[in-house]
Amino acid sequence: MFAHLLSVMIFLPIVAGLILLFAPLGRTTARVAGFGVSLAVLVLSFDVYAGFTATGKLEFVEYIPWIPSLGIAYHLGIDGISLFILMASAVLLPLVFVLFGTRSKGYYANLLLVEGAMLGAICAADLVLFYVFWEVMLLPVFFMLGLYGGPNKLPATLKITLYTIAGSLLMLASLVYLAVQYHTLTGEWSFSIEKMGLLNLSGQAAAVALFGFMIAFAIKIPLFPFHTWLPDAYTEAPSATTFVLSAIMAKIGVYGVIRVVMPAFEMEFARYALLFAYAGVISMMYCGLAAIAQKDYKRMLAFSSASHMGIIAVGVFSMNVQALTGTIYQIVAHATSTGVLFLFAGILEERTRTRAINDLGGLASKAPVFALFFAIAMLASVGLPGTSGFIGEFLIILGALKFNVWIGVFTGLSLIIGVCYMLWMFQRVFFEKSKAASESFKDLSLVEGLAFVPVMLLILIMGIYPHPFLRKIEPSTAQYIAAVAPSGVTQTVAVSPALPAELTTEKN
Amino acid sequence: MTNDFILFFPVVLVSLGAIGLMLAGTCRCFRLEHAAWASGGLFGLAFLVQLSATLACDHSLYNSLFKDILVVSPFSKAAGLVILGCGLFSVCSSISYFKRNNFSGVEYYSLLLFAAAGMLLLTMTRELVTAFIALEIMSLAIYVLVGYDRDNVLSTEAVMKYLVLGAFGGAFFAMGGAFIFGAVGSTKFHLIGNFVATNGFSASPALLAGGFFIMVTLFFKAAAFPFHAWVLDVYDGASMPITGFMATALKTAIFAVFANFLLADAALQQGWVNVLFYIAILSMFMGNFIAIGQNSLKRMLAASGIVHSGYLLIGLVALGSQQQIPGSVIAYYLAAYAAGTLGIFSALSFLSGKGEQWKNFNDFKGLAKTNPYTAFAISIFLLSMAGIPPTAGFMGKLYIIIAAIKAGHVSLAVLGIVSSIIAMWYYLRLIVLMYFHEAERSFVEEYPCRVGMVSTFVLVLCVFAISLYPIAL
Repeated sequence: MFAHLLSVMIFLPIVAGLILLFAPLGRTTARVAGFGVSLAVLVLSFDVYAGFTATGKLEFVEYIPWIPSLGIAYHLGIDGISLFILMASAVLLPLVFVLFGTRSKGYYANLLLVEGAMLGAICAADLVLFYVFWEVMLLPVFFMLGLYGGPNKLPATLKITLYTIAGSLLMLASLVYLAVQYHTLTGEWSFSIEKMGLLNLSGQAAAVALFGFMIAFAIKIPLFPFHTWLPDAYTEAPSATTFVLSAIMAKIGVYGVIRVVMPAFEMEFARYALLFAYAGVISMMYCGLAAIAQKDYKRMLAFSSASHMGIIAVGVFSMNVQALTGTIYQIVAHATSTGVLFLFAGILEERTRTRAINDLGGLASKAPVFALFFAIAMLASVGLPGTSGFIGEFLIILGALKFNVWIGVFTGLSLIIGVCYMLWMFQRVFFEKSKAASESFKDLSLVEGLAFVPVMLLILIMGIYPHPFLRKIEPSTAQYIAAVAPSGVTQTVAVSPALPAELTTEKN
Repeated sequence: MTNDFILFFPVVLVSLGAIGLMLAGTCRCFRLEHAAWASGGLFGLAFLVQLSATLACDHSLYNSLFKDILVVSPFSKAAGLVILGCGLFSVCSSISYFKRNNFSGVEYYSLLLFAAAGMLLLTMTRELVTAFIALEIMSLAIYVLVGYDRDNVLSTEAVMKYLVLGAFGGAFFAMGGAFIFGAVGSTKFHLIGNFVATNGFSASPALLAGGFFIMVTLFFKAAAFPFHAWVLDVYDGASMPITGFMATALKTAIFAVFANFLLADAALQQGWVNVLFYIAILSMFMGNFIAIGQNSLKRMLAASGIVHSGYLLIGLVALGSQQQIPGSVIAYYLAAYAAGTLGIFSALSFLSGKGEQWKNFNDFKGLAKTNPYTAFAISIFLLSMAGIPPTAGFMGKLYIIIAAIKAGHVSLAVLGIVSSIIAMWYYLRLIVLMYFHEAERSFVEEYPCRVGMVSTFVLVLCVFAISLYPIAL
C-alpha cells in the first residue's frame, strides 16, 4: 500500500502527538484525534500482518544511511518475532482512547508519542536507532506519570526514570562495545542488529557488555532484583500508562533480549542462561507471593504482571524453539490478558474511587458484563486451557523443562500461585457481600463493551485455534534458535513437523 | 594569498567591527540598540563567511597562513563556527537581558566582538606566542564583561577572582612557553612535536616543566579538576548572557587550542594521556557532586560545565589512536553542548527578571503551567545536556563513547556513562519542578522582547538539527 509502511506507522502518531501538544485544541478533539490516529495505525498494522510472508528474514525493510562513516542508518524491518509485539501494541492502543475520557489534552498527546516510540523500538533494525526510540519511549511515560499520576506520583516518577535511564545508559556502553568489536573483527563500521548477530563474543569484556545489556532489559521487564520501581510506578501511574507499561513496554524489554543480546553473545549468554532463568523464576515466585498479600487491587495486578513477565523471561532464557515460540505467543497473551486487566482496574478505580480490595464486593450481580469480561481476561492471565494464556505458558513450561527440569518445575508451580491470588481477589471483589463503594457501580456502557469484544474474542481464538498464529511465529523462531543456540544442544521441534529440515539447513 | 585572506576574514571582520563599535560608541547618536544590532549583524556575517569557507575550501586538509603561525583545518573551522554562533546567540540574549537590566553600554557589545576575535585566533594558532596573545585578547575582554555590572557585589567578587587567577594562568602560560622554547628552540607546535618524537617526552626537564605550566593554564581555562573552583563564583557573578558566552564559546576556543597542541604529535599526547585520563574522571565526578548540591540554577549549570569539560577531556584522551575521529568528535560535542547551554542561558536571560532575582531551582516551579512553550524549550535543552536522544547532546556523547572505546579506554567510557547517570538527577530536578509542581508566582510579565524568545526557539531547532548532522570521520 505504502512504500514506507513502517515509517508511517511510527511517525504518524509521533507527529500527531506533537501537533496535539502544541496546538490549542480541546480535550475532546484531542481524544477523537488520538483515537483516529491509533485506528489508522491499526489499519496499517493489518496491512503489515497481511503482507507478512513469514520467511524468517526481515521484511518491510527501509534503509536510509544516517551517519555513513560509522555505519549508523535509519534501518527498519520486522520478522515473525517483532510482528506480534507490533500487532499487540497497534491493536490495544485504540482501546485506551475509548475507555478513558476525563483526561487532559497532553495525556492523549503523550499516549500517541509513546505509541510511536514503541513501534519505532520494535521495528528498529539498527542499534543506535533502537536506542533512540528506547529512550524516547520513556519520556512520555515520565510526563504522564508525573502530571496525571496518583498521590505519590513524584517518588514513583523519579524511581522509574532513574532506574530506566541508568539501565539504558549501561546499554549504550554495551552497544558501542558491540559495534567497536564488529569494527575490529571486520574492518567495517556497522550498528546493524542483524550484523551484530554474526558476532559471537566471549571473554571477560564480553561478559561485562552482556550484563550491561541484560541489566537494561531486566529493568524494563522487570526481573528480580531490578523490579523495585515497578509496584510504585504501576500503582501511581494513570491506568492508561500502567497499561502501556505492562502490556507493551515490558515486552520490548524481552524483545530486546531476543533481538540484540542473544544473537551477539551466544556463548556468553548460554553460560549465564541458567542464572538469568533463575532470576526469572525468582521474580515470578516472589512477585506472585507478594501479589497474594496486596490489599490494593492495582498493586496486586502490578505484582501479577511482573510475575507473569518472569515466565516470559524464562521462556527466552531457555533458548529452545518451543520456549521461544511460547514466549512470543505469551507476549501477545499477556498483553491481552494482564495488560487489559489494568484497563479494567482503571475503570473500576474511576467509578468506585477506591483501590482497596476490601472496599469492594458483590460487583458481579451489579455489573455482569464487566464481571464476565474481567473473568475472561483473568482466566487467560492465569493460563486456563481454552484461553490464549494456556498455549503460551504450556509451550514455555515445555521448553523450560527441556532446558532444566527444576526451572520447568518452578515455572509450573508459580502458575498455581497465580491462580491463588487472582481467584481470591476475584472472589472478594466480584462476589461476597456488596460494600458501600461498590453500591452504585455501573456496568460497562455499550461502546465500552463493544471495544472489549475483539480482545475477548482474540483471547478465546488464540486459546482454541492457535495454529494460524504459530505458523507466522515459528519460521522466525526456528531460524533464530538455529542461528543462536550453541552447538552441541540438539533441537527437536514438536509443534510443526516441517521445521527440523530448516533447522539442519540453517545450522552452520 | 587570496585563499588565506578568505580563511582569515572572519577574524578581521570581527576585530574591525569591535574597533568600529568602540569608536562609534563615543558618538551620542549611536545608541545601545544600534550597537546590539550591529554586533549581531557582524557575528551573523562572520558566521556566514566562516560557513562558506567551511563548505567551499576543503580541498586541502591544512591551510597554513602567515608562515605556519596560523593553520586552518576542518576542526578549527568547525570550532570557529561554534564560536561565532555562540556570539550571535549571546548578543540575542543580551538584547532581551538588557530590557530588564540597565548597566549596559556600547562597549559591552564591542567587548563581545573582541573576545570572539581572540577565540577565533586561538582556534587557528599553531604557535605558543600567538596562542598567548590570542588567549590574552580573549581573557581581557572577558574580565571586563564579567565585571560589567559594577554596582553588583557578586559581579565584583567574580571579576576579582577571575582576574587574579586568570592573571596567574596567563603568567603560567608565558613561562611555560619560555621553558619550552628553551628546550626545543621553537614555539611552533609541530616542531615541539617533532622534538618530542625524536628525543622522547621526558628528555629535557625544561620541556616537562613548560608542558606542565601550559597544561595548567589550559585546565584552568577549561575549568577542569583541580582548577575548577573559580567557575561557580565567576559564573554566578557574571550576567546571564556572559555566563552563557563563557560556558560555550570560551570552552570551545580552549578545547580547540588544547586539541591542536596535543595533536601536534602523538608522542606529546601519549606523554599526557595518563594525566588527562584521571583529570577527565575527576572533573566528571567532582562536577557532578558539586552540581547535585546547588540550589541556584546558574551554579548548577556552572558545575555541569565542569562535567562537560570532563567529557571533552575523554575526547582528548582518545585523540592519540586515530587523529581524525576525535577532532571532529570534540567539535561535534562542543557544538551540541553549546546549543543546549546557550539555549538555557538565552531562556534565563528573559526569565530571571530584573537584577536576576529569579535564578534558583524553586523559582521555576510550575513554569510549564503558565509558559508551556518556554518550559518545553528548557526541557529540551536539559535533555540535550543530559544526553537523552534524539537531541544533539546524545549524539555528542555517543561519539565520545565510540571514540573512547575504539581507543581502548573502555573504563573511561563506562565511567563517563556512570557520571551521566548521576547527572540525570540535577537535570531532571528542574524538569520535575517545572512540570509537576504548581506555580507559586505568575511568569506572565517576563516577556519584554521577542528576540530572546525567537533565539531560544531557534536553538531548540539547532539541538535537533545538530543531532541529525552526520559527522564525517
